[in-house]
Amino acid sequence: MSDPTPTRLPERPGEIIDRTRQVSFTFNGEIYPAHPGDTIASALSAAGVRTFSRSFKYHRPRGLLCGAGHCPNCLVQVGDEPNVRSCQRAVEQDMDVNPQNAWPSLDQDVMSLAGLGDRFMPVGFYYKTFMKPSQLWPHYEQALRNAAGLGVVDQGTPWGAYDKQYLHGDVAVIGGGPSGISAALEAAEAGANVLLFDNGPQLGGHLRWRSDSDDTSRKDLLEKVQSARIEVYTDTDVLGWYQDNWLAAVRGDRLFKARAKAIVFATGTIEVPTLFDNNDLPGILLGSAVQRLLNLYGVAPGRRVVVVTANRHGWDLAADLLAAGVELAAIVDERRTRDHPASVDLAAAGVPIYNGSALTGARGRKAVSAAVISEIDDSGNPIGPGRVLSCDTIALSTGWEPALDLLYTAGGKSVYQENRAEMSVDPVPDGLYVAGSANGADLLQARVEDGRVAGRLAAAHLELTEPPPQQELDKLALELSKEERRTSDRISAPDGKKRFVCFCEDVTDVDVDTAIAEGYDSVELLKRYSTISMGPCQGKMCSVNALRLCSRIKGQSVQETGRTTSRPPTTPVYLGVLAGQNMEPVQVSSIHDWHLDRGASMMVAGLWLRPEHYGDATAEVNNVRNRVGLIDVSPLGKFQLTGPGAPDLLERLYINQWRNLRKGRVRYGVMCNDEGVVLDDGVCARVDDDTWYLSTTSTGAGTAFQWIQWWLQSGWGGNVHLTDMTEIYSAFNLAGPHSREVLRKLTKRDLGNKAFPYMRIRRTRVAGVSCRVWRIGFTGELSYEIHVPSSAGLHVWEALMEAGGEFGIAPFGVEAQRVLRLEKGHLIVGQDTDAMSDPLGADMAWAVKLEKPDFLGKRSLERISVDGPHQRLVGFEMTRKHIVPEEGLQIVKPQENGKLNIIGWISSSRFSPTLKKSIGLCWLPSDIGSEPGATFTIYQDGRLEEARVHHGPFFDPGGERLKS
Amino acid sequence: MWHDRPLKDGYDVVIIGGGAHGLACAHYLAKEHGVTDVAVLDKSYIGSGGSGRNTAIVRSNYLTPEGVRFYDESVKLYEQLAAELEFNVMFSQRGHLTLAHTDGAVRTMRRRAEVNRLQGVDSRLVFPDELAHICPQLDLSEHPRYPIMAALYHPPGGIIRHDAVVWGFANHADRRGVHIHQQTEVTGVDVRDGKVRGVETSRGYVAAETVLNATAGWGSTIAAMAGLELPIATAPLQACVTEPLKPFLDVVVVSGSLHVYVSQSSRGELVMGASVDPFGSYSMNSSLDFVEGLAGHVLELFPFLSKVRILRQWAGLCEMPPDFSPLMGFTPVEGFLLDVGWGTYGFKASPICGKTMAELIATNTTPDLIYPFRLSRFAEFDLVGEKGAASVGH
Repeated sequence: MSDPTPTRLPERPGEIIDRTRQVSFTFNGEIYPAHPGDTIASALSAAGVRTFSRSFKYHRPRGLLCGAGHCPNCLVQVGDEPNVRSCQRAVEQDMDVNPQNAWPSLDQDVMSLAGLGDRFMPVGFYYKTFMKPSQLWPHYEQALRNAAGLGVVDQGTPWGAYDKQYLHGDVAVIGGGPSGISAALEAAEAGANVLLFDNGPQLGGHLRWRSDSDDTSRKDLLEKVQSARIEVYTDTDVLGWYQDNWLAAVRGDRLFKARAKAIVFATGTIEVPTLFDNNDLPGILLGSAVQRLLNLYGVAPGRRVVVVTANRHGWDLAADLLAAGVELAAIVDERRTRDHPASVDLAAAGVPIYNGSALTGARGRKAVSAAVISEIDDSGNPIGPGRVLSCDTIALSTGWEPALDLLYTAGGKSVYQENRAEMSVDPVPDGLYVAGSANGADLLQARVEDGRVAGRLAAAHLELTEPPPQQELDKLALELSKEERRTSDRISAPDGKKRFVCFCEDVTDVDVDTAIAEGYDSVELLKRYSTISMGPCQGKMCSVNALRLCSRIKGQSVQETGRTTSRPPTTPVYLGVLAGQNMEPVQVSSIHDWHLDRGASMMVAGLWLRPEHYGDATAEVNNVRNRVGLIDVSPLGKFQLTGPGAPDLLERLYINQWRNLRKGRVRYGVMCNDEGVVLDDGVCARVDDDTWYLSTTSTGAGTAFQWIQWWLQSGWGGNVHLTDMTEIYSAFNLAGPHSREVLRKLTKRDLGNKAFPYMRIRRTRVAGVSCRVWRIGFTGELSYEIHVPSSAGLHVWEALMEAGGEFGIAPFGVEAQRVLRLEKGHLIVGQDTDAMSDPLGADMAWAVKLEKPDFLGKRSLERISVDGPHQRLVGFEMTRKHIVPEEGLQIVKPQENGKLNIIGWISSSRFSPTLKKSIGLCWLPSDIGSEPGATFTIYQDGRLEEARVHHGPFFDPGGERLKS
Repeated sequence: MWHDRPLKDGYDVVIIGGGAHGLACAHYLAKEHGVTDVAVLDKSYIGSGGSGRNTAIVRSNYLTPEGVRFYDESVKLYEQLAAELEFNVMFSQRGHLTLAHTDGAVRTMRRRAEVNRLQGVDSRLVFPDELAHICPQLDLSEHPRYPIMAALYHPPGGIIRHDAVVWGFANHADRRGVHIHQQTEVTGVDVRDGKVRGVETSRGYVAAETVLNATAGWGSTIAAMAGLELPIATAPLQACVTEPLKPFLDVVVVSGSLHVYVSQSSRGELVMGASVDPFGSYSMNSSLDFVEGLAGHVLELFPFLSKVRILRQWAGLCEMPPDFSPLMGFTPVEGFLLDVGWGTYGFKASPICGKTMAELIATNTTPDLIYPFRLSRFAEFDLVGEKGAASVGH
């Protein structure tokens, strides 16, 4: 089928488009054709589209520049996805592509037309303006904000389907060009398991699109890879190196996490632009971008091309263009020599060749219309008036920067080689190797050889083979030292037009000059002030130019100037890929479904979901007080300690005494941290001589486990073993005057007060299941806490409910339990205590055994006990009995001047259905709190409410019901 | 802006740490007390530590009356800072939301709101109907794993250009004669007879009878040079930023349950952070774990951000005292002063710290505002428990 677009060339060898088929997509509202295999950028280029989006700050038109996914100039919006690198994204049928940062249209952008860029927005301009008058700042700010950003977030985008995969290898090779492939082959040959990553759709690196070799070298390498023990990951970007050779890589919607013993960085080079007037005009492309367009997609970059170069690659490119029949306006080479083999043909074809000349500027309004060139002297400065060459495309092939960001984050130290005008890494950390063009090798044979040696060194690092002999290394080093320089560090003198150092942030050379003059003269400060390298390219296009410029302005070497810290990821990555699947764990008890079936209203408690109530919490309270209730307390932390060292450990962990606790008995315990602050509380039972079973709060269970583990592993772990039983056991509390009668129906054990008194634990069968039964109670009623293996949880729960039927049993939830415990004056750690609460102030002085030789918090508690606590946790009742002050309200002391001084706060409050009045717990200064009946004032919604101090339980102060 | 000056043999005051705190102190010493024989020493470039690594959130909705009073003064100074420094620090008071996903969190938020309100700080508890107006991007349904029950809304809270704060202070301090010495590392503190006499630096000895340690992150290591052991544990705190996006998120959103905070900068990037790393370290390496976890939690709040890309991640150090409140003022070593222990809340306190520490140095008396943060509070067990308000930094 015939090609509908004028710049699509006849078929090219090695191209990756399928010319037999056609797809269409829209850009900026218009329909464009493409072939499968095309990227958005190649299809748009084929259609002659030059401007893809507008720039970040000045809204200047921008188009394809690097063609390698590095620069910000071709970012577009694809459907709901912002900031898509159009040179990397394959076209799909009906894809909806739009320009970014253009308003009202790509062609007529208001910000750009206003010329804001030229006069009003120099570097640091935000810092120096909009300050006065200060009340107008919010308006300025809104205006600035409206201009910020690039792509648009669609708030309808779903989380999507992402996943993760772990990879393991002996040697990871990053980069599947000739050096990477050689390294992988060599390491595999030595017996290593090799992971080979490449971000292209096929291996081969530059061999895929550069014509400095025949296709056979690539085919040859690929065949060898297929038969070797190499796991190949194409289309895979390695994003980051993390501690201990932990690599993150992404392919599509999948995150790979790879651990390797040795890594070869065959990451290649990044072609970088140079500084000249109007260097951001659409139609100015890097040489490698032009070669990619030509050789991968069969697209001519334009109708009339000026090739600007300082190395052999520009001549390769010119030869390609000539062969493809694209008109060449000129070849401009900074070097005075003309030794490229293609120069003869090019000259013969009548292509004007300017040696010893350089590009000084580009002309054009919305795209390039001419190149301005000039002869240069030996220091690179223009001589004479210059020459204007009419063209629609400038192909820049003047310099390469080794892609070393990954290696820098892995600890490699950068060294700038002045003679080659390139960065290198020295020293390279142990077990890491750099190879190929990233290591300065440019000629194909050198790349292959360098890769081979790196692969061998990596395998030798794993002791799979011997390292290469020294003479081989010397020979290679010599070969590399003879490599021709491929990068120009020339910066031409400005001529009044904008010259962009940083395309992402629209930072010009003048901005850099200004910033340094203002004192931002270290690269890190310069970066932060000018925002150079802080945009989507993360410095790939700009860092080295900025450094050269900076070093020139400051009159120091690039090495002295230093470089900014490289940070992961090296390629921007979706939040979705990093997040993976949406997996927030949920913990539920063994009878979760039962609760749901009974209409329970569930609440979040740490990782757990638990019933807050089953419809009427007050009825649940009354039922426990008058009949019998059952609550699911499975989320309680449950830990077993075994071994003769357990009592010692407990004595240190808790403020209480444990050694004297007899078998079968239970004690309430409190844990503090070093500062004497209450961490957790619970009951602890001595089940056996060497077996202890303890419970912690539900929300604190995870923290408590870590806390105990921390101490076990820090030297207190002798002769004791900790097991987390939290999920192994389900736990129910059967509470209420009829609880004994209910339980009696399901067990043969004597439940009489004598045989099984308060604060005891017994192992017994309940409904045929062996359980641990505690006689304890948070509610103040006669109650049994039954810990049953979770697999039998539902069975025992249902048996209890059935057995309790004749006594009016009903389930109760957390809300009823909170009321019940408050009526008893019991505190909840984490609600009634905070990061300052000590047990002396929290009414637990009786538990503090300062006479123990040592325990966590002892020193602090000793200190507090000297003067007594500043604040006390006490009960209170409201003067107006129906008023329930919300938890969190403040207790205040009105001053003479009307000011309200905060003196305390309400930690718990409820209306007690049993006592028919509002009750609560609060923190008060010790002098007020210590005096039962003392009144104080609560600040509530602008009102002051009076309350008075109450000591001890509000209900059943003697605890008769509990012990009955 | 500021100038390289020769390092003198001695100064009246040496401030270790050229971050926002140290430079603010130098600025206020010079401006308000006429003390200009001051050197600010930094081992790297100014603002290279926590000042340039935080997520630039400023707020005063703390939990304790002491904390609220202190941070409220800081916010007020920040509001005037651009005018004072003639440098636009771009304080963007776009409002700050701390989400509550559990009834316990609602209780804590109410407590904070009440403390704030009684201290005259604009802060209140808001529920989903109002949240839908303040931040319509939030999923307020019952569907998320941790449904949003309420939030603490703090309208004066917001974000700022943190580097600009550093530069503004540096510029003004420099103008008044303060010496700012970058790339000057303190390697020792000279203490004789219980008094500080000077500091050893990578560029030689500098005498001073007043030395301020303003090196949060390394506060305990510098204090150790003066023979002081501080109750501080240092751990990395990480953050990251996305590519620029057209503005869509106005308020700063913090979720304690999900351990995440998000704001959109004036450049359009989402700036995001999470909890302190769960182990002590002085490493400033970024971790993969961190971005993976953070991404999951951000998407939990805003699932539609799945195709937004992370551009850059970094780590800083934060040092946690046991009560999550700073250590400021005098020490048992005469002349050796502290402004450390800044956990996750140091940047937002910069101006007021500078001002009060300058007053302390000039008058040799502890200002009331920072008296609660004195080092001796640990010996006296008079802690200032800010754990409940230290955002998600714990």
